[in-house]
Amino acid sequence: MIDSVHTQTKAVRIQTEDFSVEEETRLLHGGDGGMGGIVTFLGTARDFSKGQDVSRLEFDEYAGMAEKAMNALRDKAMQQFDIINMRIIHRTGSIGAGEQIVLIIAGAAHRAAAFDACEWCIDTLKQTVPIWKKEITPTGEFWVEEHP
Amino acid sequence: MIRVLLFARLADLAKARETEFECTEEGISLNDLMKQVVARFPALKASLAQPQLLFLAMNQEQAWLDEQVKDGDEVAIMPPFSGG
Repeated sequence: MIDSVHTQTKAVRIQTEDFSVEEETRLLHGGDGGMGGIVTFLGTARDFSKGQDVSRLEFDEYAGMAEKAMNALRDKAMQQFDIINMRIIHRTGSIGAGEQIVLIIAGAAHRAAAFDACEWCIDTLKQTVPIWKKEITPTGEFWVEEHP
Repeated sequence: MIRVLLFARLADLAKARETEFECTEEGISLNDLMKQVVARFPALKASLAQPQLLFLAMNQEQAWLDEQVKDGDEVAIMPPFSGG
């Protein structure tokens, strides 16, 4: 029980279940009066791709290495940008169109650093974290291998 | 034994997510291991012929073709990532 509570409060997580943006934001803030700006990037599943309907996405991940890469990403962002805290949550498994996929929240004293950290983090996550998405469409299933 | 992991499109092509190879004491280069993987899974030939488009890892750290793989190592052969 303690373990499961601990897991849910970890700042970097990969999980199949959905997450609450409100709860993650509350955990990020943690009552820190010095935090003056919080920037959130929320990636959601589109219902179309390249002119085709997409009913859902299926994710593959290199378990262990993916989490390690996401932790490294957070460590680097904390060093590189003037932010106070950051949380990165990525879902895997089967995700329906419209559902939440990835959440990156950065909190800083001033907004500029939070915006920069958030943008850098999602761009870098797409290039360095071993997670893959497959689009399920009426005409077939296609692995995505580019970074739009 | 060397454990080789395949992901996403590569796992679908090979119809396998992991496989194992015998390993001599001196080990084998990652490049030669890739050739053994193609010999076992001919469907991967075209994909593995362009290793610059792949991401290779040994024991969960990025690896390069000239590196030596030893008995007990875990090698991952991965297509370009598409998380997020």
